[in-house]
Amino acid sequence: MEIEHAAAPALRILVVEDEALIALELECLLAELGHAIVGVAASSTEAVALGRATAPDVALVDIHLVDGPTGVEVARTLAADPRTSVVFMTANAKRIPGDFAGAIGVIAKPYSERAVEGALAYVAACRTGQRPQGAPDGFRLAPGL
Amino acid sequence: MIVTDARAPDNPITWANDAFVAHTGYGLPELLGRNCRMLQGPGTDAAEIARIGAALAAEEPISAELLNYRKDGTPFWNAMTITPVRDADGVAYFYAAQADMSHTHQLELAMRGTNDELERQVAARTTALSAALEQKTALLHEVDHRVKNNLQVISSLMLLKARRTPEGEARDALQGMAERIGALSTAHRMLYAEGDCTHFDLGEFATELLSDINAGLDADRLRIEAQVEPIAVAAAMAAPLALLIHELTANALHHAFHDGRSGTVSITAQRHADGIRLTVRDDGVGLEAAPPNPAGFGRNLAEMVVRQLRGRIAWAAATPGTRVEIDIPLRGSA
Repeated sequence: MEIEHAAAPALRILVVEDEALIALELECLLAELGHAIVGVAASSTEAVALGRATAPDVALVDIHLVDGPTGVEVARTLAADPRTSVVFMTANAKRIPGDFAGAIGVIAKPYSERAVEGALAYVAACRTGQRPQGAPDGFRLAPGL
Repeated sequence: MIVTDARAPDNPITWANDAFVAHTGYGLPELLGRNCRMLQGPGTDAAEIARIGAALAAEEPISAELLNYRKDGTPFWNAMTITPVRDADGVAYFYAAQADMSHTHQLELAMRGTNDELERQVAARTTALSAALEQKTALLHEVDHRVKNNLQVISSLMLLKARRTPEGEARDALQGMAERIGALSTAHRMLYAEGDCTHFDLGEFATELLSDINAGLDADRLRIEAQVEPIAVAAAMAAPLALLIHELTANALHHAFHDGRSGTVSITAQRHADGIRLTVRDDGVGLEAAPPNPAGFGRNLAEMVVRQLRGRIAWAAATPGTRVEIDIPLRGSA
């Protein structure tokens, strides 16, 4: 299946995901969409270290990592850097706190390729100061955004 | 009954009837000349005493209830009515009639004790039930989370293998399977996203699934049109219906336009008295002209699912193209 990605600007993305297969496939998908992967972290310490080292445009963060449900704190730490937009990517959206720990929104697992593409296009638009209308399918915005 | 002298110092008892004597256990000589407070004791309510005192000072009648004590020390609940008796110079006497209310008070106390005990038991059971419910809810979330995560892993596995497989039949098959898993995943995600996990909105699902499929199409050549009403179906039907819509759409896209022609696949779903009517129509080459497809997995799968849902499926030639009509009965409908 060919996916069109002409319009969306390339993003530098950090993937925080403990499931190796999901991470690997996500890397392929992101590359196909024309984005650059700056790193893949499976634990909270790796994620925070990689975030500091690379200052990514976007961090896709799962809630459950190798060291437990530490994704929420990872999101909070990464979102503290104004250069990084954090998006949760989880099958466990119920664990996301009310303030979304500084994240913009959540891509619910199991996600479709279109949901990932749409969410990243939305985030890219937000980062350039646009206010896109309504969140795409499969992407839920944090309250107040 | 007693009478007290309002004009003598400290309002002493001047008369008591036999019943009063018998009830309190004091002899008449022990009572005469003394104030009624001789009957009070450690359990007597000071506020109630003050209320009586205020009424006497104001020379007004009053009804009150006090815990009093007999000569032998046993308590009793004394309900009294005190009335000032006037002569030409003002209040001369107070007349008081009493009734023993101990029995009523005991009943009240017993009742309160029983109520307290019942409430304690209810509270204990509610706590136990809440804890059990909390545990089950946590377990349900855990299972839901695992199902979703596993669907994602399965889908990733398929797609990874597809990416590493040379273009051709095997790769198409892997991608086809990943799409089917995707359809099931979308159904599962929608099923548990809302509070109500016993029902599933077919319209909402179809819109999202068909947008997913549409996104993968060559927009200049192929198009999907959908008119699916919001239809609530039982949760158990979500997965088979999701597969069915996916199969028929994918089947039409693969076979009707295999020669590179352009066209449209239209999908409609309507609720009627007996169930759902689902129509998938394409304006492609038509059944007769499509190349023979001995594997025919998509069509087979669709027919199996319809049978599982106890429905009927009919494939017919449209002009141009093919029209598939499916009737699925809904439980609870006439």
